[in-house]
Amino acid sequence: MFDTEANKNTVFAKFEKLSERVDKLRAAGRTPFGMRFDEMLSQTRARVGNAEILLAGTNNYLGLTYDADVMEAAKQAIDTHGTATTGSRLANGTYSLHLDLETDLKEYFGAASAMVCTTGYQANLAALSTLAGRGDHLLIDADSHACIYDACRLSDAETIRFRHNSPEDLNKRLSRLPAEGARLVVIEGLYSMLGDVAPVAEFVEVAHSNGAMIFVDEAHSIGCYGENGRGVSQAQGVLDKVDFISGTFSKSFASIGGFCVSRHEALELIRLVSRPYLFTASGSPANMAAARASLKVIASDTTLRKQLWDRVHQLYSGLTDAGFTISSPPGPIMAISRPDEHVAVAEWNQLMDQGVYVNLAVPPATPQAKSLLRLSVSAAHTEADIDQLIAAFRGLAKGD
Amino acid sequence: MNQMTETMFDQICGILRAHTKVETKIEPETLIGADLAIDSVEMFDLVMEIEEQYDISFPLEEASDIDTVQSLVTAIERITNV
Repeated sequence: MFDTEANKNTVFAKFEKLSERVDKLRAAGRTPFGMRFDEMLSQTRARVGNAEILLAGTNNYLGLTYDADVMEAAKQAIDTHGTATTGSRLANGTYSLHLDLETDLKEYFGAASAMVCTTGYQANLAALSTLAGRGDHLLIDADSHACIYDACRLSDAETIRFRHNSPEDLNKRLSRLPAEGARLVVIEGLYSMLGDVAPVAEFVEVAHSNGAMIFVDEAHSIGCYGENGRGVSQAQGVLDKVDFISGTFSKSFASIGGFCVSRHEALELIRLVSRPYLFTASGSPANMAAARASLKVIASDTTLRKQLWDRVHQLYSGLTDAGFTISSPPGPIMAISRPDEHVAVAEWNQLMDQGVYVNLAVPPATPQAKSLLRLSVSAAHTEADIDQLIAAFRGLAKGD
Repeated sequence: MNQMTETMFDQICGILRAHTKVETKIEPETLIGADLAIDSVEMFDLVMEIEEQYDISFPLEEASDIDTVQSLVTAIERITNV
């Protein structure tokens, strides 16, 4: 309950409406944001209170968080290097682990340069805010993730949005720009909320024909798309034409951290001037080692991707058969649009009652102000897990 | 307001009316958010529609500074060099 009188004219006054919204969510059942998981039982199961919950909103696409080699690498890194670096990459925070991971990423993507950051959010912030400077133009997809918008705010470049997944609109906007200044187009391979894939090859063509470079955030798609899992850029045959690729270690890589790779060697220079890269502590030894071990699996093991896509198609068929409309073609992220926030919250609670956790996504975090039930599939899900998910959603459709 | 600005103001009012459920007279000093109850998400769509109509691109920084109807008209005028 917000204390209006106590917070009047304070920094908290502006949060009154937000507080009322949170109160309404709580009144409808559990708190869906920042929910407490009491114990993780596996990649796909957790204990919440006394209930065992099937997890279908984790972004743990390949299920590597419990992979024996990944776990062992993290443990060994703590034994060898301790729990933290306690410093910036530019000072005392660059260990052999960070450099080895950068070498592995360059090799994996066939890139000339690679920069590892502490989180995926910071990787975009570090690269975009520094690459595009005063007099330059950043052209971003309207449905871009918050970290891309935040990077634009931090940059001195002028930012122009183009219609989501529309190379035609991008072309129009590029043609309106003055000849002076550099141009950087920013898209995502797979969009995190609606699970739709970008026409990366078309965007590459439009960007380059207008004298722009292109930056593709493959945070959700690495490990899932393309031969050897290099993402949507690889799946569409343009990996060698994309100028910059960013990603995160917090999804398929089963760790925390982020990176930017480029076919341009000059990316290396921004390490010296990028504030989000410089003024933060580097990734922990355990996180770097886990990401490196995961990369080995992602690059060499195709069975996990096959398992993931088998489960994706099973879930997609099951949900559509149950009468639900999925926002995008089959993919590791599936979003189901609900009529409004009230319905979405009620259904999210019903799913939890049935032992199923999905993500609840509501405006302003969603495109087109949609209220969504968002699912992410994992290679660690079994056929029986997917059947359980479908049954839970069938319960919603029947009003159970 | 000169004649061209007046025409643009009328056009903008037409677009705003399509985006608001509040029935009020739209004046230059009308606040798009507070008076017309157009939230940030709706404002996004509104800007896209205006960009289409005038064949312009709003820099993101400029779009976030718009509060009144007049400030919107002024921004469009600046971009289109009216």
